[in-house]
Amino acid sequence: MADYDDIPTLKENIDRATVDSVRSLDVDKYKYGFETDIESDMAPKGLSEDTVRFISAKKNEPQWMLDWRLEAYARWLTMTEPNWAKVHYPKIDLQDMYFYAAPKSTPAPTSLDEVDPELLKMYDKLGIPLKEREILAGVERPKVAVDAVMDSVSVVTTFREELSKVGIIFCSISEAIREYPELVQKYLASVVPVSDNYYATLNCAVFTDGSFVYIPKGVRCPMELSTYFRINEKKTGQFERTLIIAEADSYVSYLEGCTAPMRDENQLHAAVVELVALENAEIKYSTVQNWYPGDKDGKGGIYNFVTKRGDCRGDNSKISWTQVETGSAITWKYPSCILRGDGSRGEFYSIAISNGYQQVDSGTKMIHLGKNTSSRIIAKGIAAGFSDNTYRGQVSAHAKAKNARNFTQCDSLLIGDKCGAHTVPYIESRNGTAVFEHEATTSKISDDQMFYCAQRGLDEEEAVALIVNGFVRDVLQHLPMEFMVETQKLISISLEGSVG
Amino acid sequence: MALTVPVRLGTAENTLIEQLNSVGAAAEAERITVAGLPTRRVESYHYTDLKMLLKAIPPLAQAANEASAPALRIAGAYQLMIANGVVQAASTAPAGVIVGKTAGGVLSTRDDVLVHLNGALAKESLTLTLENSVDPVIQIDRRIEGEAAHAADSVKIFVADGASAVILETFSGSDAAHVGNHGTYMALGKNAVVTHVTVDLSSRSAAHFASNEYHLADGAKLRTLVIHAGAGLSRTQVFPRYEGAGAHGDITGLNLVSDGQHADITMDALHAVPGTTSQPLFKSIARGRGKSVVQGKLVVARDAQKTDAKFMHQGLMLSDEAEILSKPELEIYADDVVCGHGSTCGKLDEDSMFYLESRGIPTAEAETMLVRGFLEELVDPIEDEALAEALHGIIDGWLLAGK
Repeated sequence: MADYDDIPTLKENIDRATVDSVRSLDVDKYKYGFETDIESDMAPKGLSEDTVRFISAKKNEPQWMLDWRLEAYARWLTMTEPNWAKVHYPKIDLQDMYFYAAPKSTPAPTSLDEVDPELLKMYDKLGIPLKEREILAGVERPKVAVDAVMDSVSVVTTFREELSKVGIIFCSISEAIREYPELVQKYLASVVPVSDNYYATLNCAVFTDGSFVYIPKGVRCPMELSTYFRINEKKTGQFERTLIIAEADSYVSYLEGCTAPMRDENQLHAAVVELVALENAEIKYSTVQNWYPGDKDGKGGIYNFVTKRGDCRGDNSKISWTQVETGSAITWKYPSCILRGDGSRGEFYSIAISNGYQQVDSGTKMIHLGKNTSSRIIAKGIAAGFSDNTYRGQVSAHAKAKNARNFTQCDSLLIGDKCGAHTVPYIESRNGTAVFEHEATTSKISDDQMFYCAQRGLDEEEAVALIVNGFVRDVLQHLPMEFMVETQKLISISLEGSVG
Repeated sequence: MALTVPVRLGTAENTLIEQLNSVGAAAEAERITVAGLPTRRVESYHYTDLKMLLKAIPPLAQAANEASAPALRIAGAYQLMIANGVVQAASTAPAGVIVGKTAGGVLSTRDDVLVHLNGALAKESLTLTLENSVDPVIQIDRRIEGEAAHAADSVKIFVADGASAVILETFSGSDAAHVGNHGTYMALGKNAVVTHVTVDLSSRSAAHFASNEYHLADGAKLRTLVIHAGAGLSRTQVFPRYEGAGAHGDITGLNLVSDGQHADITMDALHAVPGTTSQPLFKSIARGRGKSVVQGKLVVARDAQKTDAKFMHQGLMLSDEAEILSKPELEIYADDVVCGHGSTCGKLDEDSMFYLESRGIPTAEAETMLVRGFLEELVDPIEDEALAEALHGIIDGWLLAGK
């Protein structure tokens, strides 16, 4: 995940345990399954208009924000859950859930030495040796600014001052609502409308925190921005909201990581992410999603119902989504690009791995509205165990999207005979100049490949990990360096126990 | 996603409910009352929103008084006819062909409104048993005559082990706003080889619906070709089931759509046992404001290892306003399989056009040549020359009508 060793000073009032939890990795199978016992400030259980008011009051929000939330809540009451995705789960009881939980504050750690050596060992296993990296033959590592969100609140945002020198705003969305209301009012829900879908509307009503990024005109963000999400409390839902605005001629790369403790109950995570790219701007958004996937019998795990959408509003703008989905009991997300500006470009690179009883229904939407827009989709799905892995993607060219161009490639790999891999693309061409190509394959790891690896002394699991890493290479290449190494390890861990 | 709105029934739905009740199909009537006709929210009708497209349903068909000439005549073919849902008397059948009829519909129950309606409304079905290989093309001429009518009919065909046959079904009728709902059930015995061509030539004001269900035993080989070249609204559903090892299907189809037309081919194939193969290939050509829909689902059952299935859809746009919508689907539960799909869509290749034009071929002619080449793959494998020629005729006729 994020690079905490680089954090020079932490906010005064951060709970030591919070930071630990953000770093720590535990347990055999699901490395992030620890639960940190932190005193929390919680909202009363259940969802009602009062919950919405409570959250808004906790955040010291202005009246317009409260009104906006209440309107969304009223709208949400009239909506029903979508059921078209290929996922099955018992009905979620929203009244048995906490919508707000904030860690109470105690002093923070000051240096890396205070970190539990066990945790450092775990980092090592994940290929992030915290100490070693610092002495890497004189190579200065790139800086990464981090916003850590635990349960319902943002606990730390680093490098803010350095960023503000070039005019970049990187803070939690609650702060943004208070400090930059004009920006928030202008862009919030301008990409994902309030009434977009059941979970997005619910998010509008009860979202608690998330990140806000504003890159001014002509600025190339000097470092990677990153948010780390963690659900810690029992029976809480996490509803975060991220808004990234890239003004004309700017560039930003944003990373997102997620983990949660192991529990036998199902927890809901319903986030909304909105990206706005103006003329010639470029946003690169990478996610490594590793929420708790449930145990080997399919008990527990996070329901990850997320709405992510980017709007290429300006001409020649570009939005690129890269995602590595290994966690969650159920994943239901479709990071999309609305290619509104002429000559804009959307990209989607995805690795979705499911094992155990996980269910994944993920993909993208490329909506071509402007002239000469192009998009590219590379999706790799790997199903093992008893899981179901569905790619669902839409590519559509509207009548005015002259010369729209799309290339899509979806490959699925099945490991074991109890899982399922599915591909459901929607290809909609509404004008004669659009050129679309779509291609999908499903296969298994061939015996020849396994034999070849065995001959060279690799055991079965190592061989599978190696072959799978090769299978997803096209996507890995698009991840920032920080994530790439970790992802390869993550893939091996996710597939542990899937063979033999 | 959806706002909770109770289903509001339209004119077409109310007529359907009346018609279903009048034939004693209370359960089907109830189904329409509760759910209405499928909208785009029903996955399999995502691009063919019947609630929106079907504005009115004409009265149930009465027996036809007269029948016009067949829409397609194949030299030497053995002809059978169903007019307005009534199986007509047939001439002497070729050796090994047993013709009969049975009451009611023939399609297996499945969760689909067109299949339900066909089952409820088809009064009688033509049955054909092919005991051995049949040489002449068997043509089943299905038509709706007279005033605008809502007609349902069905055909059940058994092909004995090792037998081979070429079966052509044509759909046509008088120039009125008919709604036809046709069902075909075909069971192929072991190693049977069948070519099944269905051509819609109904009038532009009509709506044409067909559901073709196939069951393939060990080693059976099936080639199908659906051509939509008539009705303003058409949808053919193809349901092949590969139930015996070595069964193979070449499921093909072609949507030819002009201004204002909507044609839909939807395939839902099940590879139920190990060792079956299929190669579905569909093509769309759209001009004017025509809309072509192709959906193709390949389902590989849990233990159907060694399945080899490749779906392909290619769309050709001849105008800027045309729409080609496709949704290939893979649903795979077995790991040792090779499955894939492809879907492409674009206009005629400019380089090829330039090549032809630079050799003095006029634009219109060059276009026709390229389109013919594009479609060759579909018609070429049909071995019966007279039939292939007739199909070429239909395609050329469509191309000419656009000039």
